[in-house]
Amino acid sequence: MNESHKPHPTPKQYVQIAIILGILTAVEVTLYYTESIFGVFTNPLLIVLAVSKFVIVVGWFMHLRFENKLVNIFFMGGMILALVLFSIVMIERASANLF
Amino acid sequence: MSDHRYPHEPTGIETRKLGMWIFLSTEILFFGTLITTYLIFKGRTFDGIKLKEVYDIPFTSVSSFVLLMSSLTMVLAHNAIEKSDQERANIWLLATASLGTVFLAGQIYEFTEFYHKGFTLTVNIYGSTFYVLTGFHGAHVFIGVILLVILWGVGRRQEGLSLDGGMNLEFIALYWHFVDIVWVVLFTVVYLI
Repeated sequence: MNESHKPHPTPKQYVQIAIILGILTAVEVTLYYTESIFGVFTNPLLIVLAVSKFVIVVGWFMHLRFENKLVNIFFMGGMILALVLFSIVMIERASANLF
Repeated sequence: MSDHRYPHEPTGIETRKLGMWIFLSTEILFFGTLITTYLIFKGRTFDGIKLKEVYDIPFTSVSSFVLLMSSLTMVLAHNAIEKSDQERANIWLLATASLGTVFLAGQIYEFTEFYHKGFTLTVNIYGSTFYVLTGFHGAHVFIGVILLVILWGVGRRQEGLSLDGGMNLEFIALYWHFVDIVWVVLFTVVYLI
């Protein structure tokens, strides 16, 4: 069902990817407990780590990077719509028009 | 994700698979809405116990790790079925369902602890958004575990599993990985930030 000719990762590479995911999770938890050291950078760093894990799982485990363009468009479409909704609500919240 | 191509499909991709991806796209909007609602109330002051006071981050971190590793076992099951290794695929499927069950047990334990500490669904609106968001995710994990067990049962039959069959391992794998990426976001947004 793969429309591209890029080879999928091997089981060994899947394990390596999972180790990276585990390390990223450990870094997240460490950041949570060292908030006093990283201060205002803690939350942006946590978001970067979560996005990295998201991209790794979607790209390699769900094989999106090996998939047909149409699949990518649909998936990204959902992501963009959700982010637009999130942005609108958060802008409203920040301007104190909401609740 | 096998090397089959679909020249007879105008899109060049199997319609059922495209449908699965469209379904996942709608699920992004579903969880996107729940997360947005949760964040509206996050950080505001309400009467009652605050979530930060009842969190058990080490416990939730282990749960998150368990769910992440279930994505590994799922992708290994998929890899095995691509190589027509039925026996190994069945083992990895069972491992995935087991890890999913461990995650669910952890969530039930966590909710029970929160309840005993006074953080209930109705304590304040923040509590309501928390339980609705994490509860819906838990419901998705539960459905995923049921689907995995059914798939494992199919795999134990004489014909075994096939990537072309109606009960397709690939689609359930996509669903399972999706449930995992939702938790990746929830773990950061709900527990860590």
